[in-house]
Amino acid sequence: MKKRSVLPRWLTSEHPLPWLFPVTALLIVFGLYPVLYSLWLSFFKRNPATRKEKFMPSWNWEKLLSDDRVWDAVQITFTYALLALSIQLIVGLAIALLLDTDRKGFGILRALMTLPLVVPPAVTGMMFLLMYDSSFGVISNSLYALNLLSPSAPILGTGSTALWGVIIADVWQWTPFMVLIMLAGLRALPREPFEAASIDGASGLQSFIYLTLPMMSKIIALAVLIRGIDLFRIFDYVKVMTDSGPGTATETLTAYAGTVYFKTANFPYASTVALATLILVLVTASIFIKVFKVRF
Amino acid sequence: MSFKRFDKQNFIIDTAKKYAAGRMSKRDFLKKMGIAGVGFSAYNAGMLGGKGRPFFGNMAHAQENTTPPEVAEFLREAGKPFAGTTIRYTSEATPPTNVLNELKSEFTELTGINVEIEIVPLEQVLAKATQDVQGQLGTYDIYYLDQAWTSTFSPDTYDPVEYYDTKPDLAMPGFDFDDFSKPLVEGICEYDGKWIGLPFDIPIFTLMYRKDILEKHGIEVPRTYEDFTKAVEMITAAEKENNIFGTGLQAKSGHYSLECDWSQAVWGHGGSIFGADKNFSGNDEAGVAGLEWYQNLLKNAPAASVTSTWDGQWQMGAAGQIALCQSWAEFFPGWNADDSEVKGLWEMAKPLEGSATLRSRDDVGFGEIPGWGHQGGSSIALSRYSKNPEAAWLFLQWACSKDVMTRCTLIGGFAPMRNSSFSDPRIVERKNLEGSGTTRHLDTVKWTIDNVMASEPDLAIWAGVANNEIPTELGKLLTGQDYDGSAKKCMDQVAKLVDAVVDEADLG
Amino acid sequence: MSALIKTWLRYLVAMVVVGIFIFPIAWFALTSIKPISAVFNKDRVVVFDFEPTFDNYKVTVLGGLKSDNQGSSNILMGTSGEGAYDGRGSIVSSLVIAICSTFLATSISLLAAYALSRLSFRGAQGYMQWILSQRFLPPIAIIIPLVFIFRDLGLRDTHLGIIIAHTLINIPIALLILKSFFDDVPIEVDQAAMIDGATRFQCFYMVVLPMIKGGIAATAVLCFIFSWTEFLLSLFLTNSIRTVPVKITTFVTSTGSEWGYISALGTAAIIPGFIFILLVQNHLVRGLTMGAIKD
Repeated sequence: MKKRSVLPRWLTSEHPLPWLFPVTALLIVFGLYPVLYSLWLSFFKRNPATRKEKFMPSWNWEKLLSDDRVWDAVQITFTYALLALSIQLIVGLAIALLLDTDRKGFGILRALMTLPLVVPPAVTGMMFLLMYDSSFGVISNSLYALNLLSPSAPILGTGSTALWGVIIADVWQWTPFMVLIMLAGLRALPREPFEAASIDGASGLQSFIYLTLPMMSKIIALAVLIRGIDLFRIFDYVKVMTDSGPGTATETLTAYAGTVYFKTANFPYASTVALATLILVLVTASIFIKVFKVRF
Repeated sequence: MSFKRFDKQNFIIDTAKKYAAGRMSKRDFLKKMGIAGVGFSAYNAGMLGGKGRPFFGNMAHAQENTTPPEVAEFLREAGKPFAGTTIRYTSEATPPTNVLNELKSEFTELTGINVEIEIVPLEQVLAKATQDVQGQLGTYDIYYLDQAWTSTFSPDTYDPVEYYDTKPDLAMPGFDFDDFSKPLVEGICEYDGKWIGLPFDIPIFTLMYRKDILEKHGIEVPRTYEDFTKAVEMITAAEKENNIFGTGLQAKSGHYSLECDWSQAVWGHGGSIFGADKNFSGNDEAGVAGLEWYQNLLKNAPAASVTSTWDGQWQMGAAGQIALCQSWAEFFPGWNADDSEVKGLWEMAKPLEGSATLRSRDDVGFGEIPGWGHQGGSSIALSRYSKNPEAAWLFLQWACSKDVMTRCTLIGGFAPMRNSSFSDPRIVERKNLEGSGTTRHLDTVKWTIDNVMASEPDLAIWAGVANNEIPTELGKLLTGQDYDGSAKKCMDQVAKLVDAVVDEADLG
Repeated sequence: MSALIKTWLRYLVAMVVVGIFIFPIAWFALTSIKPISAVFNKDRVVVFDFEPTFDNYKVTVLGGLKSDNQGSSNILMGTSGEGAYDGRGSIVSSLVIAICSTFLATSISLLAAYALSRLSFRGAQGYMQWILSQRFLPPIAIIIPLVFIFRDLGLRDTHLGIIIAHTLINIPIALLILKSFFDDVPIEVDQAAMIDGATRFQCFYMVVLPMIKGGIAATAVLCFIFSWTEFLLSLFLTNSIRTVPVKITTFVTSTGSEWGYISALGTAAIIPGFIFILLVQNHLVRGLTMGAIKD
């Protein structure tokens, strides 16, 4: 028998409020409030000599738009994200196709494939630093032996190769992510269309292009969204491997925000750059979600 | 007991190592040495290797606690009310700091105050100090301040002279502020007429050279910047296949080390960082000439230079990869450590001079001092936000006291801050050493400090600019990322950025 | 090509590919037991011919003294001071933080996820979108205010502070995953329970919750892994407490990197994650896609 409730309606467990309260409270205090605070900070111009701050709302934002380094960073962030994403997508799909079979042993291979995902990205950076070292790194030395690289141009110390060095680390760590998702998608594909197609004489490649890909499109879109957004936010690899260098060849927007914070203590401006990252992420994500109709 | 000669040597070495590592008392040590038939004088004891780390050649010597009795007494008394507190600070792994870290147990024994030193790279020291003062957090009781940061942090520390005078109960007897080398005080810890901290270490540019390599190629020790270039080019051309280069540089983009090399290059060509009009002047003729000279050197240096700070540069020297090096005199003791590949092969000369003339101090802004020997000294300062300022003050005095500073030099072989240390007999007698603990270079260092020391400008935004804008754009130039190799273009951009920062701070 | 050859070829290629992905980890682990001469060898790259030494582990994981370590490079200075390379404190800190933040994130997300799954209310969709946007939030955007907020709350450099920060990051993920698991349980189950007299909360706690035990486990594991590997927030918000990833990066100094210690502590840091992820292989995809793709 239902007891009569003495509590007001919005406090009973029928109302979502008590259930959602802890999460919402935490997110507002430590998630939403800081963003607003950041925005508020960005409206002040800070004088590093006197350490005083003056309310000048447009100062930092104008500075942001005219800061060459910001635009370079945006460009690098996009380059990084697009390159890493395409490679991870293609290679991920390829590996998923390779491992998508019930034959014995492949289960172990698939499980092993997930291991890179649990390495702390900071440690991944270290691993690759070790392998890229110009004197004794195993990757560097192998490349010297193949004459693809010269000892006078260390991988992470040369502008043209440094970004690739970081991208490779990212690709190594996150391709398994793509593989897993693609695998899940492939396994969920219905058999009938493929059987029908092969009866009709379609080749493997044709099946792939006209059946697999379209049916996987939603999954691919989701994977691209999640990974893509994460790529815009990367910090660990750049900080650990190159510290934005050489020059600013690997300086992503997040890395630049970190530099402004740590090296100049100009907190208002650092907040501005950080918010720019947030804006970039949100805008890109929204466009993507709308265009590709991703659902959760 | 009798040993075969080989066993005896091993026994001696093992015992010595154990002693130096602090795992054996002095009495046991001498007893065991007696068994092995080895007699001892204090001098010999100093010859034994320490932990195998370059700056610890003489830990055995350090075990002799030579704190004067009145100082020890003072510390015991003054420390009583603070026994049990812990003070902490963060510092770079410079040799004096490392040595202090090993000796600090003596301080704790006397006062009961614990000292925690967090040792991190210099840029992190800056970041942590910045965070601390911004929030007035009091996480650190003492700040290790590079001279480039003195004016930035001037509001955050107590003037030690004033503190000494206003707190006589905590004033160490015989501390003697006048004993500190005047040029060092002026260059490292004085700002606006006050002392910001106590001078602690003094890496300063001198010219170091491999006498064997120069002899091999019949090259004289270079005196001017032009001579240096010639020598470097000659050596690199001749020895490149052996992986030996004329010189190595600390040209890591975005790092203060690159800024140091650059400013020395600029001063050496008669230029300056700021003009009298308080605008950036690195892009004038002299400045650009300096930068171009540096670019040329880079071509003759190991490729790792562009990712090396001073530590990478030190390693080049230690691995025998370079023949000439105008850089921090602090490198010298480590290169001469007992287990060093290049022990005894490096010598030190005065820094390069000419052929340009230095820009006069009247023609530069913000108290910059163009010179031939770039100094990178640091001070240790008492934080205004410390929760244990008195305890920290005791430590500061101890660390900078005559005896401790002299002993630090004995152990590490680097330049002391005090005139009394320079003339201490223990240091003078080491001048003939080839290996660990040698002090044969100290005369040159002292001369450089007293005569040609160069200091960077004093302004609050300098710490940021010297660590961010300047070395980042330089890095872009030197790694070919931008500016097409044009020093002028790079400097013009830096001028734009630096002047903007100066304007933003209403300083220009 | 005959089917047999195709099969073997597939095996071969698959093994090579997986081998490439395992290689860096294997190399790293190998490095952790190499003596310095094998790591820094200028003449050649040493692969297997060396005498393994466990000194690196002794120092970083078991708290030995650096001066005892014969394997330590004596050219490099590295960081001095006792305990500079002792990773035990970091391991404990990381463990405490990961476990607590996992527990916190999972439990409060369970509540919210249940509500979102069962109690339809206006704004549910909007709420979900807000949660999702939190997932996309770059930590750098909130880190500066967080530093100030933490300072004012006295949370700077405390374990509790990092726990809260990690919980914050984990909530969106946990919430969305758990909601998807709740959605798997038919609503009839709830209705049956409530007809039998259970309150909503009892229904949640005693009936539905036990049914998604697997999902909760998967969520907890993922939260643990994210917290354990998190770097940025831990870097900015602490000074004396060091989580394992941050601690390892302190071994890289401009004075020189102690690769022995780095690889030892790093390898040790990978192990918990390995074990856990092998345990939750089944629900991994749902976890990584926050419930959008079921396994």
